[in-house]
Amino acid sequence: MFFHIILERNMQLHPRHFGRDLRDKLVAKLMKDVEGTCSGRHGFVVAITGIESVGKGLIRDGTGFVTFPVKYQCVVFRPFKGEILEAVVTMVNKMGFFAEAGPVQIFVSNHLIPDDMEFQSGDVPNYTTSDGSVKIQKESEVRLKIIGTRIDATEIFCIGTIKDDFLGVISDPGATS
Amino acid sequence: MSRRRDDDDEEEMDPEEEYYASDDDDGDDYAALKSGGGRKRNRSEFIDDRAEEVDEDEDEEEEDDDDDYDGGGGGGRPKQKRRSGSQFFDEYAAVASDDDEEEDDAEDDFIDPTLDLPEEDDGRLNRHRLLPRDDDQEDIEEMEKRLQERYMSRRHQVEYDDEATEVEQQALLPSVRDPKLWMVKCAIGREREVAVCLMQKSIDKGSEVQIRSAIALDHLKNYIYIEADKEAHVKEVCKGMRNIYAAKIMLVPIKEMADVLSVESKAIDLGRDTWIRMKNGTYKGDLAKVVDVDNVRQRVTVKLIPRVDLQALAAKLDGRDVPKKKAFIPPPRFLNIEEAGELHLRVERKKDPISGDYFDCIGGMMFKDGFLYKNVAMKSVSTQNVQPSFDELEKFRQLSEGGESDMANLSTLFANRKKGHFVKGDRVIVIKGDLKNLKGWVEKVEEDTVHIKPKEKGLPKTLDFFERELCKYFEPGNHVKVVSGVSEGTTGMVVSVEGHVVIIVSDTTKETLRVFADNVVESSEVTSGVTRIGDYELHDLVQLDDRSFGLIIRVESEAFHVLKGGEGDKPSVGLVRLREIKNKIERKNYAVDRNNDSLSVKDVVKVVEGPCKGTQGPIEHIHNGYLFIHDRHHLEHAGFVCAKARSCVAVGARPNGHRNGDSLSRFAQPRTPLRDPLSSMRPPRGGPPMHSGGRHRGGRGHDALVGAVIKVRIGPYKGYKGRVVDVKGTMVRVELESQMKVITVDRQSISDNVNVSTPFRETTSRYGMGSETPMHPSRTPLHPMMTPMRDPGATPIHDGMRTPMRDRAWNPYTPMSPPRDNWEDGNPGSWATSPQYQPGSPPRRAYEAPTPGSGWSNTPSGSYSEAGTPRDNSTAYANAPSPYLPSTPGGQPPMTPSSAYLPGTPGGQPMTPGGGALDMMSPVVGGESEGPWVLPDILVNVRRSGDDIVLGVVKELLPDGSCRIALGANGSGDTVTALPGDIDVVVPRKNDRIKIMGGAQRGATGKLIGVDGVDGIVKVDDTLDVKILDMDSLAKLAT
Repeated sequence: MFFHIILERNMQLHPRHFGRDLRDKLVAKLMKDVEGTCSGRHGFVVAITGIESVGKGLIRDGTGFVTFPVKYQCVVFRPFKGEILEAVVTMVNKMGFFAEAGPVQIFVSNHLIPDDMEFQSGDVPNYTTSDGSVKIQKESEVRLKIIGTRIDATEIFCIGTIKDDFLGVISDPGATS
Repeated sequence: MSRRRDDDDEEEMDPEEEYYASDDDDGDDYAALKSGGGRKRNRSEFIDDRAEEVDEDEDEEEEDDDDDYDGGGGGGRPKQKRRSGSQFFDEYAAVASDDDEEEDDAEDDFIDPTLDLPEEDDGRLNRHRLLPRDDDQEDIEEMEKRLQERYMSRRHQVEYDDEATEVEQQALLPSVRDPKLWMVKCAIGREREVAVCLMQKSIDKGSEVQIRSAIALDHLKNYIYIEADKEAHVKEVCKGMRNIYAAKIMLVPIKEMADVLSVESKAIDLGRDTWIRMKNGTYKGDLAKVVDVDNVRQRVTVKLIPRVDLQALAAKLDGRDVPKKKAFIPPPRFLNIEEAGELHLRVERKKDPISGDYFDCIGGMMFKDGFLYKNVAMKSVSTQNVQPSFDELEKFRQLSEGGESDMANLSTLFANRKKGHFVKGDRVIVIKGDLKNLKGWVEKVEEDTVHIKPKEKGLPKTLDFFERELCKYFEPGNHVKVVSGVSEGTTGMVVSVEGHVVIIVSDTTKETLRVFADNVVESSEVTSGVTRIGDYELHDLVQLDDRSFGLIIRVESEAFHVLKGGEGDKPSVGLVRLREIKNKIERKNYAVDRNNDSLSVKDVVKVVEGPCKGTQGPIEHIHNGYLFIHDRHHLEHAGFVCAKARSCVAVGARPNGHRNGDSLSRFAQPRTPLRDPLSSMRPPRGGPPMHSGGRHRGGRGHDALVGAVIKVRIGPYKGYKGRVVDVKGTMVRVELESQMKVITVDRQSISDNVNVSTPFRETTSRYGMGSETPMHPSRTPLHPMMTPMRDPGATPIHDGMRTPMRDRAWNPYTPMSPPRDNWEDGNPGSWATSPQYQPGSPPRRAYEAPTPGSGWSNTPSGSYSEAGTPRDNSTAYANAPSPYLPSTPGGQPPMTPSSAYLPGTPGGQPMTPGGGALDMMSPVVGGESEGPWVLPDILVNVRRSGDDIVLGVVKELLPDGSCRIALGANGSGDTVTALPGDIDVVVPRKNDRIKIMGGAQRGATGKLIGVDGVDGIVKVDDTLDVKILDMDSLAKLAT
């Protein structure tokens, strides 16, 4: 789920950046530092949309670095248990398949794939229903439900299922091509 | 005797077995007074007796027993020894069931002092005489401790038992008025004998013996118990006895008395559907499932996977000869009736009269559904610690699918649960009883009872269940950790739950595992189970043999999966055992990518060609031009791929800068040729030092300082960070970050390990390059000069040099001190002023470099900048200083040959400061590293004219490197002047007073408190610290 929230961060700025463009430099550094990171509480920071406020800088003795408390608005993405997501399949193997929804990697175990879908090995490994009408392979888009998340310092890993109503393939590259 | 019987195969009872059939019980832990096996039963008798003082009409009993045992007392028979005592005690097994019939037998545990059994005397006395005296003394304290432990645990158990026994029984427990129990020491292994002797004594002496009973416990060595009213009685009776040491008589506290004689009852809880293991026979160790229990006959019917050799069976049934001895045990296999039919085995179909099930009978064996049903004695199965493995259970499930639910299997699993299996907060499901399938959370655990908070509404707040009625329960998505079993330690997420089996996806390997719910706990931690065997850890780069190397991508219990680097287009993964690994490759290496960008570990690269094309990720290891890249999207091989550095490109902003196309090409070129001649030049040095040396000196080394961000350590600017703009001799000019100011500080007072890998690198490399280019030409003409120079000094120096050099590595500051002196002596100036140091024109270029001194100073700066990596340091130093450094007193000694030589060949020198860094390494290092050698007051061996070696004490170091030495062990003799080459430091021994000659502590004195290989453990006098120093840097102090 995406959230637009306000976060705060203390930015350390090198003295060489002091000058007219200080604020720009600060924002640039903030973006560089924060965007794409992941925190357990908020999930992935997708983008910074604006700066709320920049507090008073505090000069660090000895180093000359200045610490600014910066409040910024940002879009974060955090998957939740029970959330329904659309994701792109990145890899299929006999244990199940991996899909990605933005930065989040989701594993769908074969136990969580409807029983009528069977793994077909071969050049393009895939899961196919017995009648062959539905096929999950690399690049397929699937709608899945997250049943478990593991949040590390740097990544979020989820377990998903497509064994539920209205879940499964939503576009099949194999079918269109 | 009961012991022996235990071992007998239950199936083939020997005739006398029948007598004991009822007392087959493991409880025979002690022998009552009269040798042989007492029984569990006896205990209760004991207590009974003591409590009630029941009349003892032994005579009758005696007779009874006699009859029972078929004249067991008769001598001469082989079993005589065992049986001879049998009249005197009874053997019971089952406690409860036999109670009635044996009630009257009970009393014969007690000695009747008046008892007279003359016919036994002979045998008994005989044995006495034959007994050797056994004086084995065991540590009493230890014994006590052990006993105490035993009692501690017992006490606990007894409290528990008490609940179980009836009130009546409690009344029987000993009280203060009852006779006491004393523990008396005896010879080891003679416990029973002593007890028998005491009995004999009581028989002989009659009422003189005032003890009530004597007990020898089988499990307690070295002691027997004597029941008596007073200690004096015990002493009395022990008088004159062999093998008994009455000196130490201990009273058993009343509380513990019952424990002495209580038998640890193994609660054999055999119920249907429990898993057991066979103890002996063909099926030894096999898993079996109990299908029926006959408590009366103490037999169970178990279901096994048959190990039947049908061929042999057929042959046997046909009456053909069957080789008697069976060399092999047939593997377990389900029986196929058709197969049996083909072999013309007669298959009878029988109906079990009780259960009504049909069995196929072949040769007396009952089969059903391919399983063998076997009736065995309870004793021949083991119920403790049966941990059926997953495979075994699967096998059982295969055929018996359907009817039996998974849950049934659990009962045994549960029986083997560890204590504290459930903890508060665990999610559980009820698997038995009316509330089956109720889910809830554990609220409280009390012994066997678990209070749970049910999930359903409308139920009381908490319900309590027996532990066995509960099973842990997980939901898909839970993050769990496996706490026992094969995959112990692994963590993962539950993807599905099948009965009591959960399927989890391991966090690290992304593989699915099947584990019992019972073996799993909820956890948020992330591990992969075992990650280390020996010195090697998951994701280590290891050398497999001379050619191949690889990355450990998975650790199993005995072996590693190694992703091999190098050869081949396809990634190859090999299973490698610990011993097949030569060593770990820990070197930090660098490589150059397709665009000639240099790569180091942690840089993100993308593979642009080859089999792994497209993968992208940070470099984990670099070796021989191959990169090991971790791509989290890559699922094989734990996400690792191996690719040639040349087929990768660096991606994005890398932490360590320089990617100026222009400067790079310039940069890269000189470096490569530079390295090659070097390596060929110094073959003995081997790879690593060369690499690092080459790298640092040649290209990047010095630039690390110029332009590096450093922090001032000492002085008025202490703590300030800044960028080095220039290095001049010993001084460094630093542009402070916080002030618009360039200050000049001493090299020693900066630390450059702040973060060298800052964006400033760009400039850095440029600097380096500038100074470098002119250097190179200079090298060629100079080489020839090197050779002569090295020859004389080389050998001795090499030897000495290695170790100290290495030890230097431990003390970052070591190299600093001596050189500083040199530099401070105004060296830079001196270089410049002595013209003879610039023999060739090319080197002069260095001087002409726009940044004055940059050419020069770079080298030293290189060394300084590496303050963190001292190894380089020493080498770098070495170049220049050594010859010049008379001021470093220590510097000289070993150098002498070379230093003596050098002045003569001035041409050799200029090398040193310049690009020479590398080339000069060997001789120079020698000089430097041995520099810190000799110090005043240490004991040395002086080699004098001829070959005689004299002990002496260093008195003074002369500026030319030689030193004045007072001969004699305490320096009382003549004073001589010796060249450092003629001096050997006396290697200190343990407990010698020593002086430290190298390292940060140079000059300090201390005491060598231990030697560990090449390291000495030193207690430094000043600080009283204990340090581990290289033995080479220690010298014995003159007394």
